[in-house]
Amino acid sequence: MRNLFTPKNLRNLILVTVIAGVLILAISGYLTPIFSVSVSPLISAQSWISERYLAFSDFFGSPRDMATLREENTTLRNEVAQLQSEIIALQENLAQAEILYTLLDFARNNPEHEYEAATVIGREISPYLQYIIIDKGSNNGIRFGMPVVTQQGLVGRIDAVISDAARVQLITDAGSTVNVRLKTANVEGQVGGSITGEVSLDMVPIDAQVDVGEVILTSGLGGTYPPNIFVGQVFSMQSNQNALFQTGSVQPIVDFSVLSAVLVITNFEAVDIAPLVP
Amino acid sequence: MLVYLAYAMSFVLAMMLQYGVFSRWMILSGSPDLVLLLIIALSLHQKNSRFWILVLIMGGVVGLVSALPFFLPMVVYMAVYLVSLSLKQRVWQTPLLGMFLLTFGATILAHFLSISVLFIQRIPFNFTEALVRVMLPSVFLNMFLAIPVHALVRELAVWLNPQGAQV
Repeated sequence: MRNLFTPKNLRNLILVTVIAGVLILAISGYLTPIFSVSVSPLISAQSWISERYLAFSDFFGSPRDMATLREENTTLRNEVAQLQSEIIALQENLAQAEILYTLLDFARNNPEHEYEAATVIGREISPYLQYIIIDKGSNNGIRFGMPVVTQQGLVGRIDAVISDAARVQLITDAGSTVNVRLKTANVEGQVGGSITGEVSLDMVPIDAQVDVGEVILTSGLGGTYPPNIFVGQVFSMQSNQNALFQTGSVQPIVDFSVLSAVLVITNFEAVDIAPLVP
Repeated sequence: MLVYLAYAMSFVLAMMLQYGVFSRWMILSGSPDLVLLLIIALSLHQKNSRFWILVLIMGGVVGLVSALPFFLPMVVYMAVYLVSLSLKQRVWQTPLLGMFLLTFGATILAHFLSISVLFIQRIPFNFTEALVRVMLPSVFLNMFLAIPVHALVRELAVWLNPQGAQV
């Protein structure tokens, strides 16, 4: 019979028992403090090696990464520029939409008139004349003499028309005359332009009490413009005792330097009083 | 033919820029006249005997679009063309000087004719105000723009006529 407890078998048995015991102790958590103490230097060493490797790798790999980063940076800059231009375009569209919404509100609030919205596409070539060009013409029902307004007030009247465009004489033009009514004073007068675009008030009775800030509306006299359209406010008044009428300067309600969209009143026909003039 | 087409295209472009952009470029109440500058520069650089026909057509187109009387731009542009013929012979070595002289003279002429039309139409205006607030700023702006317009038209002329362009 063979002897099982030979020194060799006994050594193997002890070894297996020790390994099994260590495993059981490790699984059950009894060896955790020992592991942490013994593994910690290994982790530190591993970290040190890893950091040095990464530093080494970065040092030799950085030129390639820099080129890649530059490419990415350029691409991103391009994208940012493109997005910024899109934002600007959207802001412009928004501004245009806001103007059109305001014009639409004005049209809804003044249902007695029919309106045709138009965009300002140009200004007169001569600095002595105050005219604008709009993008609507006879194809859109625009006719000579039709009044032009914005949501703020009176702009002028149609002076010339072609199929898809029209020329508008502004109330600031030297050749323009608008019959007006001063709202509070309840007197009538005339508003005229000048070669520099300034607007003046004339033909106001000498005995009328006109205050600065007085609201000026169209009177409808003469049949050129419909009544009660806001023109502006009295900025200052001058009266001479020997003069027949008072004169003054007017602050127009419309800012003509930034005019971008207008409304043409299409159901108003200007009365031609030329035959009555001697 | 290509030369006339290029001149016509540049005129259309100048008209669009003038009505859309440069008419809003104001100092006091004066504004530049890009179309006039283009015609001055073209007159100084062109070598075609029938260029005056194109000048008349350009004047007619501006007269139609503008609220100015129909004939006024035609008169000014033809005067520019005729003076440029004489100027090219006298100051041919310094075309930029010719451009400046013609710009100054043509702007003054155009403004005096505009004022005359206002006077004939009995539109009230103050002459001093017209001079100080409209004419002088317009002259300044035209003189300022004369250099780039001259340079662009010279390049156009060189491109259209590489052999005989006046540089």
